[in-house]
Amino acid sequence: MNNKAKIDCVDHESRTNETAPSVAVETVSAEKRQGLFGEQPPPVIEMAPQVLRYRTRRDVLVFGAGALAALAGGGFLLPQDTLRRMGVRRTVNSPAKEWFLNRALRIDDDVAEALYSGNRRVPTYTKSQITPLKNNYNGATPDPGYISGWNLTIDGLDSGLSISLDIRNLMTRFSVQEQITRLVCVEGWSAIAWWAGLRFDDLLRAYPPMSQAKWARVESSVNLDDSGNPDPYFMSIDLATARHPQTLLATHFKGQPLTVDHGAPLRLLVPVKLGLKNVKAITKITYSPGEPRDYWAEHGYSRYDGI
Amino acid sequence: MSHSTPPANEPNSTSTLLEEPGVLVAKKHHLLVRWSHWLNVPILLGLILSGISIYWASPIYRHKPDPTTGNFDVAADIGIWICAHVPGLRHYSSPPDWLYNHISLGPGMLALALRLHWLCAYSFMLNGMVYLAGLVMGGGWRSLLPRRTDLFDALRMFRYYLGAPFAKLVRRKWLHPRFNTKYNALQRAAYFSVPVAGCLSVATGWAIHKPMQLYWLAAIFGGYNAARVWHFWLMWVYILFVVPHVIVVFADGWDTLRSMIVGWSTRVKRSEFTANEQ
Repeated sequence: MNNKAKIDCVDHESRTNETAPSVAVETVSAEKRQGLFGEQPPPVIEMAPQVLRYRTRRDVLVFGAGALAALAGGGFLLPQDTLRRMGVRRTVNSPAKEWFLNRALRIDDDVAEALYSGNRRVPTYTKSQITPLKNNYNGATPDPGYISGWNLTIDGLDSGLSISLDIRNLMTRFSVQEQITRLVCVEGWSAIAWWAGLRFDDLLRAYPPMSQAKWARVESSVNLDDSGNPDPYFMSIDLATARHPQTLLATHFKGQPLTVDHGAPLRLLVPVKLGLKNVKAITKITYSPGEPRDYWAEHGYSRYDGI
Repeated sequence: MSHSTPPANEPNSTSTLLEEPGVLVAKKHHLLVRWSHWLNVPILLGLILSGISIYWASPIYRHKPDPTTGNFDVAADIGIWICAHVPGLRHYSSPPDWLYNHISLGPGMLALALRLHWLCAYSFMLNGMVYLAGLVMGGGWRSLLPRRTDLFDALRMFRYYLGAPFAKLVRRKWLHPRFNTKYNALQRAAYFSVPVAGCLSVATGWAIHKPMQLYWLAAIFGGYNAARVWHFWLMWVYILFVVPHVIVVFADGWDTLRSMIVGWSTRVKRSEFTANEQ
């Protein structure tokens, strides 16, 4: 009995493999085509039931394995907080996970860089389109006491010197450009605001960076954390973006000198980047050949942030 | 055509195996369509969960800040309401986060949510292209095109679906409208709209991801802020589609589900299921 079943089983396999294809191609129904857009009936064929069963079993198993793999992959990629809320105790923070997610982020950065054109101006608006802009200092707003003794230090210059400029210097030496552009935050909100200031490009021409420099680190040493302790803010910007005609070192907001809320006395305004690159109360600019560190990139955000 | 179609899953004894008559089957879905269809499940889930986590950082729907709590987020209000009215949630640790804790990755994880959202978004675009390739290669796209008679037929189908559960309950006959196409008008409307919604989600996503380089794209949707609203509501298209989709597939039976896994269906005549016999 057992033997017979085995033989049948072999027969079954051989039939599946050999005779099934010849059966499978036999088209039973054929209807007329009805133009390019007309629905064409799917070809109906005759199939041995065991072939259908075999294919069903095979594909259900393959799809089941795929579903398990997707579940495991999804669980692996989920944030630790989310897993903990779902009752998973095990820590799955692995270097592979970080690597994978960073890889996705870098692909997005590369795509964004490919989309970017240095000649493309961002849209500008009229004064009637201006919307309110909130103070979005991540930590505490600095005490305005720093403004009176404020200086901008520039490092990494071609001259090899480190120079220091005060706000009067910056406002009188360079021509002022006005601009009404949209500031877009990584959080999703945005504001159309009226700015004035000098072009970053003009500063670069007046004080050329060292010849190998490709990056600038823009820093605010007066930045504070939530509890009011010093928390220097620094971010990277490539010089091509710094040279964009709409990249300003803003001194004025709504026709008035910047208030402390908006980064008095000098803030970066780079409308082709997310708001987090628009450093308030800049105290130092350093040019460098390599990409400098970036405050928010170290908190898991993109380094590129081009929009 | 002299074959009678036996039920596909009838168990056979080994002795009758060789004499089994063949089954008539029709190829319903191309391999690429089937794979991309199922891949959409984890991808869309990831997009929705991470998307709502991103929404948390700057909610679209807000009101004047509450004088005592400072809350302005309508989604937080819903969480507070749920915790106040659902038994057993009275002592929930953070009612404003309830909704985010249950329909997103969670509040306060914008950087991670963004990274997952980009990962899923690129997968979604790739998967969409695979799906379209499958539709073209298998010729299935023709069955999705809307027709002139669809509005009326869709209403008939809608009436059928609404009535079917009650008819089953009182054991009355409730006739399925006849169609001689692969899909009925309501299915066609749904299966056509979802890929369209997919394209719109991708377009609005790019519009709010690169509002300066692709400002013209944002302008098509009425500007940056309006594109965010579009992107948010397009998510609900998938949610509103998936619920009846899953219910109807399970109600329809194994053959329909199998056709999306294996590709073959034993329902070869389109008008075969005219009554609610299955």
